[in-house]
Amino acid sequence: MLELKNVWIRYGKNVAVRKLTLTVNKGDFVTILGANGAGKSSTLNAISGLVKIKRGEIHFKGQKINGLKPGAIAARGIIQIPEGRKLFPLMSVMENLEMGAYLCKDTKRVRDSLEKVLTLFPVLKEKLGGKARELSGGQQQMLAIARGLMAIPELLMFDEPSLGLSPLLRQQLAEKIKEVSREGVTIVLVEQNARLGLMLATYGYVMENGQLVLQGKTSDLMQDEGVRKAYLGV
Amino acid sequence: MPPAGIWIDGLVQSCIYMTMAFGMVLVFSILGILNWTHGQFYMLGAFVVYYAVTAAGVPFPLSLLISGVIVGALGMVVEKLVIERLTGPGYGLLAVTAATMALIFFFEGAAGMAFGLMAKGMATTLPGVLDMGSFSISYQKIAVIIFTLVIMVAMYIVLNRTKVGKAIRATAQQPDAASLYGVNVGWVSLIVMGIGCSLAAMAGGIMGPVQSVDPFMGRIPMIMSLLAIVIGGLGSLTGAIVGGIILGLLNSVIAYKISYFSEVALFLLVIVILLIRPQGLFGAAPK
Repeated sequence: MLELKNVWIRYGKNVAVRKLTLTVNKGDFVTILGANGAGKSSTLNAISGLVKIKRGEIHFKGQKINGLKPGAIAARGIIQIPEGRKLFPLMSVMENLEMGAYLCKDTKRVRDSLEKVLTLFPVLKEKLGGKARELSGGQQQMLAIARGLMAIPELLMFDEPSLGLSPLLRQQLAEKIKEVSREGVTIVLVEQNARLGLMLATYGYVMENGQLVLQGKTSDLMQDEGVRKAYLGV
Repeated sequence: MPPAGIWIDGLVQSCIYMTMAFGMVLVFSILGILNWTHGQFYMLGAFVVYYAVTAAGVPFPLSLLISGVIVGALGMVVEKLVIERLTGPGYGLLAVTAATMALIFFFEGAAGMAFGLMAKGMATTLPGVLDMGSFSISYQKIAVIIFTLVIMVAMYIVLNRTKVGKAIRATAQQPDAASLYGVNVGWVSLIVMGIGCSLAAMAGGIMGPVQSVDPFMGRIPMIMSLLAIVIGGLGSLTGAIVGGIILGLLNSVIAYKISYFSEVALFLLVIVILLIRPQGLFGAAPK
């Protein structure tokens, strides 16, 4: 479904990602692991079109998407839930959800997905009129996911969703992400919290200094000596 | 207490500063720049109305709308041809600032060549006064106040109830997320520049019959609306409105009390406000 072929990303002279090749199949739950600065977020931003790639190609459902504007990529069904949530702080919860469905012109479809999203996140239902910035950290993360789902994504990419959440909230978040995956949405999860990523996903890529160093089933990665040492601290 | 007429004159000025400041802040919130040539769109709007009414015999309210459309379109051209090319990676703020400042003289020069440097008086389009007993208000001034109220209500509805307006607010608050969900930020920039310049033009147009029309008439309203923005807090639309009201009223009242010294007093007051609240009345506190 998603294919990155020999992708390079550069900021000025600094190479953020080099020679990255990876594949995500329909229905997969893939995680990308790596330390801070390994190039994980750059990769997601390149897929979303926020960052231009210097070399290589990105294909989605057989079509080249690198070079398209972020809006055009979103219109094809690739939705990113960005790091730090990036909600619209002064807009209401409802308006944030509406913005998620910005590209959807079919009002009935929007209403249906709103209903679905509110069933998945009942906590948002009571807060629809309140401003996004008045929500707690956990609720804000839920809203960020709900806004992403409003776009009716085929591929949903999470960038560090657990950042800044307490262990309890992290657990709730994991449950919600699992539910979304069960609905049939293809997921790419970028996490510094490797334990969480490996626990949720079925396939994992490990990046170091902008390069792919390891990949495999998450069950295998969890047994890997290097991964255990570097990312799980055991 | 100054007489009612002074307050009404102040309120009329408030309306103009408010409308101008609102447009500038709207543009700033999306493009991240101050459009230094905003005052010249005010001036061009006044000229469009002047010629529409005196040469073509178009009714005044319709000519206001025409000036909003024509000058709004001109603002979009400026956004596309000048501002868009000088912003983005590789350009500092200085390039686009210098360019919009240069446009001040371009538009003033062009207007001077096309329309002449002499101030043109326009016949009152709404003759008569409303007698309030101890004082009276000309219908022309009432029109300015009502016009501004209509504009502000319209802007509120556009920004809060329409899809375009929500896209504008979303882009102002979180441009990356807005584009991730399909908002075309380039298109939003064009729209807000069109709206901002159209507001300036209509403000100039409605003041045409109150003042006279000349190529340099945009300078004072521009400086005043800048001050209004600074008082209100750069980036806050509410701040632009409140700043505009405060400034217009003060300007009129101070001028009545101490005439020549009034600008000095006004600037002193602005300095005092900024000493107490450096971020302006409605600006976000620095993090």
